[in-house]
Amino acid sequence: MKLTSARTQFCSWALLLALLAGWELASRGSGVSALVLPAPSAVTKALWTGLSTGYLWPHIRTTGLELVLGLFTGCSIGFISGVAMAESALLQRVLKPYVVVSQVIPKLALAPLFIVWFGFGMTSTVVITALICFFPLMENTVTSLQQVDPQRLELFRMLGATRRQTLLRLKLPSGLPGILAGLRVAVVLALVGAVVGEFIGASQGLGALIIASQGMMDTPLMFAVLFVIAALGLLLYQVTLAVEKRLLLPYTRIS
Amino acid sequence: MSFLDIDKVSFTYPGWPPVVRSVDWSIAEGEFHCLVGRSGCGKTTLLKLAAGLLHPHAGSIRLQAQEVVAPGPQLGFVFQSPTLLEWHRVIDNVLLPVSLQHKPTAQEVEKAQQLLALLGLSAHAQHYPRQLSGGQQSRVALARALILEPALLLLDEPFAALDAITRGELQDDLLHMCRLRRTTVLFVTHDIAEAVYLGDRVAVMDSGRIVQDIRVEVSKPRAPAIRYGATFNLHCAQVRDAMDMATL
Repeated sequence: MKLTSARTQFCSWALLLALLAGWELASRGSGVSALVLPAPSAVTKALWTGLSTGYLWPHIRTTGLELVLGLFTGCSIGFISGVAMAESALLQRVLKPYVVVSQVIPKLALAPLFIVWFGFGMTSTVVITALICFFPLMENTVTSLQQVDPQRLELFRMLGATRRQTLLRLKLPSGLPGILAGLRVAVVLALVGAVVGEFIGASQGLGALIIASQGMMDTPLMFAVLFVIAALGLLLYQVTLAVEKRLLLPYTRIS
Repeated sequence: MSFLDIDKVSFTYPGWPPVVRSVDWSIAEGEFHCLVGRSGCGKTTLLKLAAGLLHPHAGSIRLQAQEVVAPGPQLGFVFQSPTLLEWHRVIDNVLLPVSLQHKPTAQEVEKAQQLLALLGLSAHAQHYPRQLSGGQQSRVALARALILEPALLLLDEPFAALDAITRGELQDDLLHMCRLRRTTVLFVTHDIAEAVYLGDRVAVMDSGRIVQDIRVEVSKPRAPAIRYGATFNLHCAQVRDAMDMATL
């Protein structure tokens, strides 16, 4: 049997349906309380009510906004400091220990401190998200810029290129695939950062809603929120992939 | 006064024995010289010294009576690999030496198109380097080295990775382009037949020294048929002997 992409896609949808059906049957037949494991039908109902009454939307908006702000801030700082550290060996030696320390401390352990500094709410979550996104982008930028082919560097020297030209016209374009790979990692981590940040320091957003639904013992709602988070993550990841594919077209197209 | 003068040049990478030892060589204007030797004999280093990418520790290198201090538009360089920028179209790769100085004018774009046409690549001007074969990429690298019409062209085993037939075609293209412009050429290779086919003179290099200077007395312009002639093979044997002698 040939595994065409349509066929494998059909298989994964079929698997999903089978899993859902099994879950539905198990939760109805086994008598496990809906508090522990609600049936998919109950989750769907909770999701539908949440979306149609508009109860979920403000939370989705909040998390989405934190995500975008955190991602943008973290990636910008990560990219700029990555470029600076790749270009200046001195800067790299001076700053590297601080960057590493900032990353080995679990960011969530800093959340209580951020609440003291920035207050309860959006700012703290954005800061945590930014701090998480910053690292993969910086690391990948530094590595990509330093791995430029030495012959191409010699070519630019031969042609009398300035340092600025070498950075803008050689190092950044040839490091682009690596930098974009860092962005992909940052996007996934940003969602984790935003949701978990909300666990601790917010009253709005999908993370806060999970904590709230736990308090209300509304497990179907909790599952519904998890579903929304997964959908948000998938959407963001697919958008990043599409952007990456578009930007890297000249690097990959063969015929 | 010759065009390029290499005068008692020595070079050492820190912590290693000398790579180039007191080399004397001169190239007259419009001549095509080849530098052959085994891997690691110092021929690439000598070429980089001539380009001004490295600076000699002793001796001097003069181009048209002027000391070579830094690379510049007066010389073109072709590397072992095509080193094209894969995010630029072929035409923009050819124009790279220009666009690093200023925005290419319509005239310069026209000149790039002509170079590509001479090398049989007109149809590929708007393609990306990845879409081209290895031989075509080498041709684009050659066009890029020629766009500023350098007086001196330095090539570092540019065709080493190509198959024999493509290599032969590129050798003929190179000879043709250089004859048109009366370009002076220093060509580094480890392929004896390539050196004899291309060169007016062949320098054999071994452990940092030039051990033999062979003038190739084969009629010009060269055509593929001479590869099977007696004189050609005699010269190949001569170069081979020089390389073997040096190793002993």
